[in-house]
Amino acid sequence: MGVTSGELIRSVQPVKRPRRKMANKFKLFFMALPFLIVTFIFYYLPISGWIYAFYDFIPGIPLSDTPYVGLKWFRTIVSNPTQTAEVMRVLKNTLAMSSLGLITSVFPVIFAILLSEVKAGWYRKLVQTLTTIPNFISWILVYALAFSLFSVDNGVISHILVQFGLVGEDFNFLASNSNIWVTMIAWYWWKSLGWGAILYLAAIAGIDQELYEAAEVDGASRFRKIWHITVPGIIPTFFVLLLLSIGNLVNNGMEQYFAFQNAMNKDSIEVLDLYVYNIAFANNFPFATAVSMLKSVVSVVLLFAANTLSKVVRDESII
Amino acid sequence: MRVKKISLLMLAAILVFVLSSCSGGNGNSANSNKENNAGKPTAAATDSAKETTAPSDGSLDHSKPLKLTVFSTTANYAGPQTGWFAKIIKDKFNIEMEIVASNLTGGDTKISAMMASGDLGDIIIFGDDKNHYPNAIKGKLLLDWTQDGLLDTYGKDISQAFPKAVEKAKVAFGGGSSVFGMGNSVATNPTGPSEGKDMTWGPDLRWDLYQQIGAPEITKIEDYLPVLKKMQELEPKNEQGKKTYAFSLWSDWDGNYKMTLAKQFANMLGYDEIPDTALYVKADEEKYYDFLSDDSWYMKSLKLYFDANQMGLLDPDSLTQKFDDVVAKYKDGRLLFSWFPWLGAANYNTPERTAEGKGFALVPFKDELMYSTGFNVYGGNGIISIGAKAKEPARIMEFIDWMYTPEGAMISAGSGTAVPNGPQGLTWDLDSSGKPIVTDFGWQAFTDQQNTQVPAEYGGGDYYYGSNQMNFSFVVPAMVNPDNNEPYDHNLWTTTLQRNPSKLDSDWRTKMGVLTPKEYFEKNNLLAVAPQGFTGKEPLMMDKTLEQKNKQIGTVIQQFSWKMVFAKDQAQYDKLNKQMHDKVNGLGYADVIDFSVKKAEELFEARKSVQ
Repeated sequence: MGVTSGELIRSVQPVKRPRRKMANKFKLFFMALPFLIVTFIFYYLPISGWIYAFYDFIPGIPLSDTPYVGLKWFRTIVSNPTQTAEVMRVLKNTLAMSSLGLITSVFPVIFAILLSEVKAGWYRKLVQTLTTIPNFISWILVYALAFSLFSVDNGVISHILVQFGLVGEDFNFLASNSNIWVTMIAWYWWKSLGWGAILYLAAIAGIDQELYEAAEVDGASRFRKIWHITVPGIIPTFFVLLLLSIGNLVNNGMEQYFAFQNAMNKDSIEVLDLYVYNIAFANNFPFATAVSMLKSVVSVVLLFAANTLSKVVRDESII
Repeated sequence: MRVKKISLLMLAAILVFVLSSCSGGNGNSANSNKENNAGKPTAAATDSAKETTAPSDGSLDHSKPLKLTVFSTTANYAGPQTGWFAKIIKDKFNIEMEIVASNLTGGDTKISAMMASGDLGDIIIFGDDKNHYPNAIKGKLLLDWTQDGLLDTYGKDISQAFPKAVEKAKVAFGGGSSVFGMGNSVATNPTGPSEGKDMTWGPDLRWDLYQQIGAPEITKIEDYLPVLKKMQELEPKNEQGKKTYAFSLWSDWDGNYKMTLAKQFANMLGYDEIPDTALYVKADEEKYYDFLSDDSWYMKSLKLYFDANQMGLLDPDSLTQKFDDVVAKYKDGRLLFSWFPWLGAANYNTPERTAEGKGFALVPFKDELMYSTGFNVYGGNGIISIGAKAKEPARIMEFIDWMYTPEGAMISAGSGTAVPNGPQGLTWDLDSSGKPIVTDFGWQAFTDQQNTQVPAEYGGGDYYYGSNQMNFSFVVPAMVNPDNNEPYDHNLWTTTLQRNPSKLDSDWRTKMGVLTPKEYFEKNNLLAVAPQGFTGKEPLMMDKTLEQKNKQIGTVIQQFSWKMVFAKDQAQYDKLNKQMHDKVNGLGYADVIDFSVKKAEELFEARKSVQ
């Protein structure tokens, strides 16, 4: 308190006026400072970990005691055709899963529109709650659920399918590689459909009700109202989210694929993040770091591509 | 004015922050006080126990409970040690153990994460002395037992009984003077097979079913398939009406380069892998073969499982289930074949079943040559260490030392590979002539470990989870106890061998003409005993580049192994086989083989040291 009263006395002195301007300038800086710090800690500090790519690092041994190897691990990526093919396979999986995600990103839009058309309020809320809950379940638990549904021995769904003669008695769904990308995207939307629809529901709620009333007076059918009022109303939201997810193309996370991976499907669902994880913890951190740096390069290229596209199409750039 | 307001607000915010962090600190100290208080009564309670069992030169204070984090790369149980073993070490040393098991949470991933964190816990158990152990030494994560005379003061029994093991620890990993860990299954007697009544491998079949189909002669491994098919036809469902299979595999033990269950038949022909390399080596000769060659039993096993799958003998859950699921299937009588006596017989053969003559028993094939690990005066490749950050190393050393003494060994020799003897007075005791004898309760506990409740005064809980869950065999169970001249393993006690056998045992004994599987192999000269020596040099290690290649190749082999076993037809099997070879050759398999051959030569040299 003593300090504050001291400041009070000082601030009434007219001579000190110019300092207030300075303080004003710093005020904004100080307000932004916490965010700058957070950004620094979470986005720039981890880059220092790139240094591991240049050493023969072994966990537990300090970097000062490990040999510096220069670009050895980067050369390893292209050192032989099999290795390069491995990295290309992983890149292919990554882009395929992300693209599938982009293509199917209309699902929550459709779901939100359908949901908003449900007239019984209690039913709408029930459906929305039930579809949103899976978003809060971890992927590991989703796999546990999948195992209890599909294991050959005790799986509920497996048993039903066998009873109806749809699959053979020895069919192991979780160890099957057929249509694995579709299966994966299906699990993904099972988990995130309700959550993804929330923004669209908000957008729909924001559409002026008078538009619907006017359409009704003009004799528009329900489908026409959706097509000419609801869809145009949420298209801007859709595009914003679409652009954001393009930026995240290589970041499709690893938890889902980590939980579901096994010898049969690994070739098709090992995405970049998972590959880096699998390699790093098979005790090769330097090589994993080198591969994950590759990911950053791809991201930067994608970003500039999107930026150029935006310049051409909308005549304004993001950066 | 606005500035003032804001600075006031900021000050207030800082004040709140400081206050909250202060009170947080208070909260912490209050908690720790509580902990201390809570700790005191227990300490007081155990004081009396401590005094009665105080060691002769007991200079260590046991009054404070010591909670140890045991990081075991071999354990199949995670959490606090409970039951009878917990009670014994609590009474004797006032020690409690919390077990961290990398097998259950991520395998190598977990080990690397622990290594990177810089703290491995108080006691660390390494499954082998390759990569992780030497790396942990380099990373200064392990305590040097010679520091402050720790080993000389509190590890006397180890250095007196097993001087060669200490010597190996010093020369191979300690730069000549330091001791960072101790090998497992050490012995004092240097020759002969080190197994107990059973060998490590079988193969065991459901004896009752095998007899019912007329006990056809089995000359080679492939002959098991038609036999098993007939057995499956005889008993297509278990008592609960669930389908039976011959084989049920699990993938959670994979690692070290292989699909774990595809290497077992090689052992039944006298070969074993050198861990982390691509060679299988003969136990008693200087012979080896390439893992992926056509005549390798790894590849032949894949083919065998593939054929088994085509015949409906392979459990389709194999790829997605875990070891515990398989154990449950053995218990339920859903499987007909067991690679190991400690898997099938240990879980299926309950007293009720064996009295009816049902159960798993050894059904050898004609050319079988059992791989046997010789007694190892240098200690095996499993390692027990103390963490560099352990708080009371003296007490930990004292505890580890005790596990190597006859007293410790009588209680839990062979834990992880054999059923431990348990607490004296409960499961076993000494008879009037001083010879050990298993009690009735003991037999019940040994045959049905998970369903036998231990009385509360011995720690309660069931016998199985009450056993030492570190999964580390300190001394080899077949070693003779100097105190009573009987082996530590209760299966080998004179009193046990004279005991009334069950219907299953007597049937097996009459048909085979021997008392135990070990006797069968010894009598027919079907043992290949691998001498356990030591080169007297630091072991060869892969450099980082080769290790990277090796790991990647290992992953590829594992993945393709499973795919091949579950291939749709022969054509797909052959295609996958070719793909696998192309891929590993592309990744530098030849370099790995070069290193593997050097490793084999090192092994041959080591064997000479005990011949």
